[in-house]
Order: sequence, then C-alpha cells, then structure tokens
Amino acid sequence: MAEKRRFKKRYCKYCERKTDFMDYKDISSLKFSLSERYKIMPRRLTGNCKRHQDMIAKTIKQARAAALIPYTVSRKAVVLTPFEEIK
Amino acid sequence: MRHYENLVIVKPTLTEEEIQAKLAEIAEIITSNGGEIIARDDMGMRKLAYPIDKNARGYYHVFYYTIDPASIMEIERRFRINEELLRFVTMKFDTKREVKAWTDLVEATNKRAKASAKTVEAPAATEAPAAEEAPVATEVPATTEEVVAS
Repeated sequence: MAEKRRFKKRYCKYCERKTDFMDYKDISSLKFSLSERYKIMPRRLTGNCKRHQDMIAKTIKQARAAALIPYTVSRKAVVLTPFEEIK
Repeated sequence: MRHYENLVIVKPTLTEEEIQAKLAEIAEIITSNGGEIIARDDMGMRKLAYPIDKNARGYYHVFYYTIDPASIMEIERRFRINEELLRFVTMKFDTKREVKAWTDLVEATNKRAKASAKTVEAPAATEAPAAEEAPVATEVPATTEEVVAS
C-alpha cells in the first residue's frame, strides 16, 4: 500500500479534454500513449480510462497501417533515428 | 450515402506531374463510382515509418468523400490493381459522433487549404508551364526561412 502512494493520482487525460474522436493522422496527439519504441503504453501507466484506451489503441493501429508510426523499432533503427531527423 | 476518408500513398519515384496525374486518376475512380469528393488534404512527400516495397518515402494524399457503401469494394479493387499506390487506408464514418468528426476534419482541411492558397498565390498563378519547377523549388526554402524568422 505504501508503495502505491508514491505515484501521483492518475486520471484520464482524454476524459479531461472530452475527446470523442481521435484522428490517426495527427501523430503528435498519439505520442502520449506510445512508448519510446512505439509500443502502446498500458493503461495502468498512463491512467487512461477503458473507453479512451480502446480508442487510442485502435487509432494507433490505424496510424501504423498508414506507415505514419512504425510497428516495431529494432535496435538498428533506434541508432539510425537521429540521422533520419536531419534527412 | 455514407461518409468516408481515404488516405493514399503514391510511389516517390514518380515525378511531380506524374504524381498529380495519379491523384487525378484516383479522384476519377472515386467520382466515377458515384462518390462526391468534399475535401482533399495534400500531406506531401513524407518519410515512411517503415519501408514499403523498399521505398523509404511516399507521397501522402487524403480524400474526404461521400459515397454509396456498395461502391467501396469496387474502389478498393481498383486501388489494389494500381501499381503506383504503395498503400491506401479507407476509413468509414458511420455513427453520428463520427460524422461530426468527419465534418470537423473537412472544415479544418478546407481552412488549411485556403490559408496555404493565400500564401502560395503568387507561384500558383505562374504554375501552368511545366518549366516553372525551378522557381517553385527556390521559393519553398524562402518561405520556410520566413517561418523560422517569425
């Protein structure tokens, strides 16, 4: 119990903004629920509610299909990323 | 009639004119099947998150349109045949909430298109000849510099 108190009280950021629809083309808004390696962050860490977690998971998968977000980031790609930013 | 959105990625190896021709062809596919294109969002050449058919980049374009649901299968069949299309993503906007989101997206893209048309009015007027590519290319960095400066 004492361990749990260390964390801030979590709340759903999407509920606060009253999000009804998420656009898969707007990558910057998806960043919040993605890890460094573009994995979908679990609900227990982000504090999303079930409804919005389901929405964001679906949206992220759509963005992956559109090649806006990678499915996986290999160790090689992680090293390459800084160079890719420059183009 | 139902609301749809279609994102297409065109091959980056084509020239600018060929890409525009390809997009016109895609628009033709939609309209010839009874669709009505409401808005178009030109996202331009982008880096792909992962290579598709060994291509690192792709030309993104989004169509917002209304069409009879039965025609979507035919459109997708035509897209699949098209070899210059790397990828397409079709989204259906069915419920009231989704349709509202769709209209919002259309409004936003139209507003953006209007804003960009105002800033690019001068080169757009001299767009007609194909030989004008060089001045357009030089103008693009000029505008980005302005953005950085402001």
